[in-house]
Amino acid sequence: MTLLEPADVPIAGIPAYIVALIILTLALCFFAFVMYRRIDLLRRGMPDPRFSDIGERIKLALVYGFGQYRQPRYLGAGVLHILLFAGFMILSLRSLTLIGLGFSPDFHLPLLTGSAAFAYEVLKDYVVLMVLAVCIICIVRRAVFTPARYDHPGGKGHGSEAYVILGLVSALMITDMVFDGSALKQNGAQGHALFFPAASIGALFMPEKGSQALNYLHIGGYWAHILVFFGLLNFLPISKHFHVITAIPNVFFSNLNKGAIKPVECGVDDWMELPECGVGHFERFTWKHILDFYSCADCGRCSDNCPATTVGRTLSPKMISIKARDFAYEHYPIFGAEKDRSKIQFTGDVVTGDEIWACTTCGACEAECPILIEYIDKIVDMRRYLIDQGDVPQSLQKPMQQIKKKGNAYGGSKAKRAAWTKDLEGVEVRELKKGEAADLLFFVDSCGSFDPRIQEISKSFARILTASGSDFGILGADETDSGNEIRRLGEEGLFEQVCQKNIAAFLERDFKEIVTFDPHAFNTIRNDYPEKFPIVHASQLMARLVRNGRLSFTGDYVQGKVVTYHDPCYLGRHNGIYEDPRFVLGRIPGIRLREMERSRSRSFCCSGGGLLLWYENEQERERMGEVRVKMASEVGAEIVVTACPFCLINLEDAIKTTGNEGKMEVVDLVELVDRSLGTHARE
Amino acid sequence: MDIIVCVKWVPDTSEADLAIAGGAKDIKKDDLDHDINDWDRFAVEEAVQIKEKVGGKVTVVSVAPEDAEEMLRESLARGADEAFHLWDDAFEGSDGYAVATILAKFIKDRPFDLILTGTLADDDCSGQVGGMLAAMLGVPNAVLVSSIEFLDRKVKFKKELEGGLYEAVEMDLPAQLSVATGLNEPRFVSIRAVRKVASAEIPVIDCGELGLDESQVGPQGSKIQVEEVAMPPEGEGAEIIGGGAEEAAGRLAEILKEKGGIG
Amino acid sequence: MTRIFVLAEHRLQKLRDATWEALEAGRKLAADLGGELNCILLTDNAAGMADELAKECPKVLVVEDPKFETFNSDSAMKALAAILSDKAPFMLVMGNSNSMMDLAPGLAVALDAALATDCFAFEVKDGRPAAFRQMYNYKVNAKVSFKGAEKIVVTLRGGAFPFSSGGGAAGAVEKIASPVADEAPRKRFLNYVEAEKGDVDIASADIIVSLGRGIGDEPDMEIFESLADAMGGVLACSRPIVDKNLLPKYHQVGTSGVEVKPKVYLALGISGAFQHVGGIKGAPLIVAVNKDAKAPIFRVAQYGIVGDLNEVVPALEEKIKDLKG
Repeated sequence: MTLLEPADVPIAGIPAYIVALIILTLALCFFAFVMYRRIDLLRRGMPDPRFSDIGERIKLALVYGFGQYRQPRYLGAGVLHILLFAGFMILSLRSLTLIGLGFSPDFHLPLLTGSAAFAYEVLKDYVVLMVLAVCIICIVRRAVFTPARYDHPGGKGHGSEAYVILGLVSALMITDMVFDGSALKQNGAQGHALFFPAASIGALFMPEKGSQALNYLHIGGYWAHILVFFGLLNFLPISKHFHVITAIPNVFFSNLNKGAIKPVECGVDDWMELPECGVGHFERFTWKHILDFYSCADCGRCSDNCPATTVGRTLSPKMISIKARDFAYEHYPIFGAEKDRSKIQFTGDVVTGDEIWACTTCGACEAECPILIEYIDKIVDMRRYLIDQGDVPQSLQKPMQQIKKKGNAYGGSKAKRAAWTKDLEGVEVRELKKGEAADLLFFVDSCGSFDPRIQEISKSFARILTASGSDFGILGADETDSGNEIRRLGEEGLFEQVCQKNIAAFLERDFKEIVTFDPHAFNTIRNDYPEKFPIVHASQLMARLVRNGRLSFTGDYVQGKVVTYHDPCYLGRHNGIYEDPRFVLGRIPGIRLREMERSRSRSFCCSGGGLLLWYENEQERERMGEVRVKMASEVGAEIVVTACPFCLINLEDAIKTTGNEGKMEVVDLVELVDRSLGTHARE
Repeated sequence: MDIIVCVKWVPDTSEADLAIAGGAKDIKKDDLDHDINDWDRFAVEEAVQIKEKVGGKVTVVSVAPEDAEEMLRESLARGADEAFHLWDDAFEGSDGYAVATILAKFIKDRPFDLILTGTLADDDCSGQVGGMLAAMLGVPNAVLVSSIEFLDRKVKFKKELEGGLYEAVEMDLPAQLSVATGLNEPRFVSIRAVRKVASAEIPVIDCGELGLDESQVGPQGSKIQVEEVAMPPEGEGAEIIGGGAEEAAGRLAEILKEKGGIG
Repeated sequence: MTRIFVLAEHRLQKLRDATWEALEAGRKLAADLGGELNCILLTDNAAGMADELAKECPKVLVVEDPKFETFNSDSAMKALAAILSDKAPFMLVMGNSNSMMDLAPGLAVALDAALATDCFAFEVKDGRPAAFRQMYNYKVNAKVSFKGAEKIVVTLRGGAFPFSSGGGAAGAVEKIASPVADEAPRKRFLNYVEAEKGDVDIASADIIVSLGRGIGDEPDMEIFESLADAMGGVLACSRPIVDKNLLPKYHQVGTSGVEVKPKVYLALGISGAFQHVGGIKGAPLIVAVNKDAKAPIFRVAQYGIVGDLNEVVPALEEKIKDLKG
């Protein structure tokens, strides 16, 4: 007897192709309906234009979607994921072929004939084995070695879904092996083990050639495969594995405005007139943010890198996605009426104020997410809502009021903004009046103007600019806080005020370029301000001056000490400036630079700058700065160099509280350059 | 519950370097930012929270120059229902007594259950107006109130005494309470919240409209007069008390005692 | 001849320190103004207290009424108004305690008297008194006159008039019928409430003993607690102390903690980092003890001791206890 093919064997008297048609129709209808419901909720989200720059978006989809570019940041899990993903891509053709085999025993995909078909069959067979092996490794890894990042603090986890999926995928592979193995057993040929290893292994377990049992297994394996396949497909959109479907669109539609914060609401003339400001209710999220929630695979890489999570604050970025997705699935069910949402306020009840204020907007989560899920904009949108409700931690209210009243959080009077320039010896800092010109406009920002410690950096920078023969000036009393943190704390109205004041001051003066040593000011002027001005960070300018030969160094200050460089979030992650500071450092003689394990895009936030200096978190076990100082001492650093005034303050504090005083010091790159200036006679 | 909150517009002197003005009758105020007296902010917040809980109306009133409108508008944004701005050039230089006179005149014919103020004003540090106003209106009062609740026509509150001790007190309504800072957590008032009340009218009422004679207000209507102000003597940094631990401690104890550092 | 009346303050059948300080100030004023010194005691039971006062004051006026078991500003105001209405010219002196702050303003209105609160010194020129008090977050001293008023009420800054016994002959005790015997007070004391530890509100404390990193890694917290107790103050701290779990979070002073404005801030082992100093700008008197003579805290403090806390703190506590007697 010959082996019967699935299409030839009626099931319970019904012709196979009818059965196949029924399964296909039911499965696709169900899938389409679920997808419709999911997409319907997206359509209820707020608008967000994400259809521009298609070329750029396709590139993102290729690199981060198909290319899985970020997966290897976690090497083991990343490689496993890449293998699984590749397996999925390759086996998708096989799945389509198998569906077709329900209708006709001779079904094949177009072009997959002859030697191409043979080659694919061989490839497929290896991939089946590989995927099965990966699934088993994944199951063991989850069950036995459970990585900490799979934890789900303060919410429900979905770890069991992972086993369901891995089980279903394994079943797919096994049924495939049964189906092909039974055929191989029947038609078996020497040497096939080399070409069809999966089928050959399957054949080992098959009953005798020509037996009825072999036939049953062949047909049964086929239908089991089909059922598992459609089961899996339909399980995806109701589980955390929706990412299998949404990840590539999610990457395609991801945020292209790096460093900037989204407007309160896209396409609205005057957001101040909106009935609700920011996100209080779930539908106030943009459709893309809801797509983010769908797409999160709970991998926890965001939270694993989140400094707030690390020090014990209640924030865990992935839990925001998980809780939001759970909320969406529960309140907007696939079947039945929507749940009453009048008694539950998304912002406040589902995601709490403590979580929302705990974020430093450092961007570590976003830099890590393999599928480019956004967090900062969501946090800011929720803060906008809380701000609108007046629900703001007391520790943040005072500095915000000060900015409103005086243009800086330090409570200094406007008139004294340039007071730091007074006791500079041999250096003249020009206050540019309206209509005056200079090559460089040095934006000092509030910290550099009023914080006594940061004034030292301002002075150093003025000396460097003078030493390099640069023509520069400051705004003095006409300068206002840059507003970077104001915007990120969600007080959009105040941000608009300060940014308009600065824009007006910029427009009234003639300069080629703005320069600032504060990455926060740099970021907001560069990315948030509606009017664009050429701006460079001090590290970029110093790198240029070094290249042009206008700055030279001696090693008197460093004296061969071990130096490590701490990447400030707003310089590195948000603006991609990693190399210029290192280039400048590299030119200072006598430096032994050692990188910390967490550097560049994985740099660990020191707890944030601007107004966050005032923020008091009650849950944290230790301070982020202390964690960072420990990392620095692990590489034996004697000098920690940073390029952000707030990092300096936080780390300087942390050096004291960790008992590293005398063993380690932190300096700003600007100060280090100043102290190492060859032409600059130091006392 | 109809609540009237009296607020004061004060120069922010907490973090500023102060200087004495010519004539030594006052400090230089030109460079100082003004804002609502911090204590009064808690009073407005408390009134709004009470309203949110039990209903009623919150009226905010201030005896303050023109630019204090900002403070009254912010109070509206905080949740007050109406605000009144009492000002007349003749009010300039009023002491606590004269201010209480003006406020009493304004409040006298209005219905109220409760008058709230802050306990102290950061500028004159006198803590007079609440109690004087209460006496002028013939209602009972208390200061340093750190929590408030209502029972029928009575108010029950906790008042701060010294050294971490409080007393619970019950009082008939209508009443006047001067609140302590920290009895609530004042909400944040955003730019948008202020814009929402940008068009609300804040009537400005002058001396004549209040039915007051100019002799009742300003320096003339005041009971006390500041003759001279001076910065307390201040050396370059701390005066270091020498000697051994024993001797220095003894001297320090005397200084503490002298300066009220032993309660 | 301006008569000086001193209002006695008591709690739990014990005269409070403010009474003695008021007597001290009153005694001086009586001498300068050439008037008689009287003390007024409103109580439910004068036993003991009246005699104690009479030892230091020529005349003690006593009103006994059950309403005065605890301090009741409503009844006190009416009683004092009745007693004093025909006594002009006079000056009524009392402590600026939290209780008296309920009373003084209303009483001044009831008497149509001029009021100066929280005075730390007086001056008498040509028979006219003037008071010294502080303004603008207690940063500026002001001299205040009473515009020739015949009725004056003043309240005194705690600690500004340290008492020393006059040692004269015992004065007379005169009982006065309660003018408010038949009046139901509109204000009724219910009970005392001890602050739970978690209720310590350093923001409103008048006396703060604040601890910084300089107290060491394994400090003996008891010596600081008992010093704070002796001073009648509360313990506060800078961030590192909270970080070491030596004190709970709500004790932290600074721009990132609680901003405080006590009358006296005793900084122990606090270096004076910007963030911390930002939180104590409201304190008119800062006293620092630190090992490091260069600690920035000495730049903002008025008085300092450079020394070892383990020696200075117990010594200080002892001296304070001595001074309190």
